[in-house]
Amino acid sequence: MTQLLNKILNRKDASKEDAKQRLKVLLIHDQVDLTPAQLDAMQEEITAVIQKYVEIDRDNSVVRLERGDDRIALISSVPVRRVIERALPA
Amino acid sequence: MSECIVVTSGKGGVGKTTCSANLGVALAMQGATVAVVDADIGLRNLDVILGLENRIVYDLVHVIEGECRLKQALIRDKRVEGLYLLPAAQTRDKNAVTPQQMRELVTKLKDEFDYVLVDCPAGIEQGFKNAVAGADRAVIVTTPEVSAIRDADRIIGMVEAAELPEPNLIINRYRSKMVSKGDMMNKEDILEILAIPLLGIVPDHEDIIISANRGVPAVFDETSVVGEAFRRIGRRINGEPNVPELDFSEGNGIWGTMKRWMGFGTAQGVA
Repeated sequence: MTQLLNKILNRKDASKEDAKQRLKVLLIHDQVDLTPAQLDAMQEEITAVIQKYVEIDRDNSVVRLERGDDRIALISSVPVRRVIERALPA
Repeated sequence: MSECIVVTSGKGGVGKTTCSANLGVALAMQGATVAVVDADIGLRNLDVILGLENRIVYDLVHVIEGECRLKQALIRDKRVEGLYLLPAAQTRDKNAVTPQQMRELVTKLKDEFDYVLVDCPAGIEQGFKNAVAGADRAVIVTTPEVSAIRDADRIIGMVEAAELPEPNLIINRYRSKMVSKGDMMNKEDILEILAIPLLGIVPDHEDIIISANRGVPAVFDETSVVGEAFRRIGRRINGEPNVPELDFSEGNGIWGTMKRWMGFGTAQGVA
């Protein structure tokens, strides 16, 4: 109800959403013991590997860790533009 | 059957000692025999919150080192039947006690009392390990803040690592006005993140500061909304099913004040 009111009045986002988002990221970092820089590096490497096989839309690619029930999952969404035609490595 | 419950949080200053004191009084008022144990060796405070600081002769370390008998160190709270405090030592440090010694102490206390409530020190080191050593289960205290919830998450992991059953959560310092504006995480937000069962919510209220000034826990005050929150948590710990959550949105503002004047303020619950 209050959220609806906020939307109608076009108020700025409530700060609790910031708190929640920051917490979710924090808890993942705490749990996997990786720094944000290491996570970025991992994302870079994963994307690089994918790019060896398919041409992707890098700007709209997401690779991130997400906390679900009792476990952390690697969530990735990588739009493929086209498959690179080349023989598999011997 | 008696039970040892450790009250813990990870982060300091979220209200562990206040919760321990009030829950101790609440359970005793409901007819149970209760020993509240201050496990914060070197920084004792539970005695002050309970207003029993002038009656300390012996402490937990004296008992463990055999300088006195357990009964000599237990301070009886004269305001309510069945409530005793075992104070921490103020001039020693956490390394004066081992988890094994705490386990033995708690076992002895459980022979005498229905509930043993252990007020855990902040942090995740020796003091925490001592405090959880003899516990059958844990209650995690948090506030609706990023830092407190982060530490609570860490502590939940450590409680599970100590092979205790899934802990319960107390959300302290809840400000319903800020929650309704969207400027404080609400109950659902916090439970979504921490994913443990809720034991109760305690509103942020000036009664807590006043009661700490006086050394009289808020739960002694029949008209206090915070006291009522702790009484309900006590009933849940005691195994009473379906104790409704307190509707403390009425606690602030003109409507809340009017409702309190008209005499149906604190007793109302929401389904």
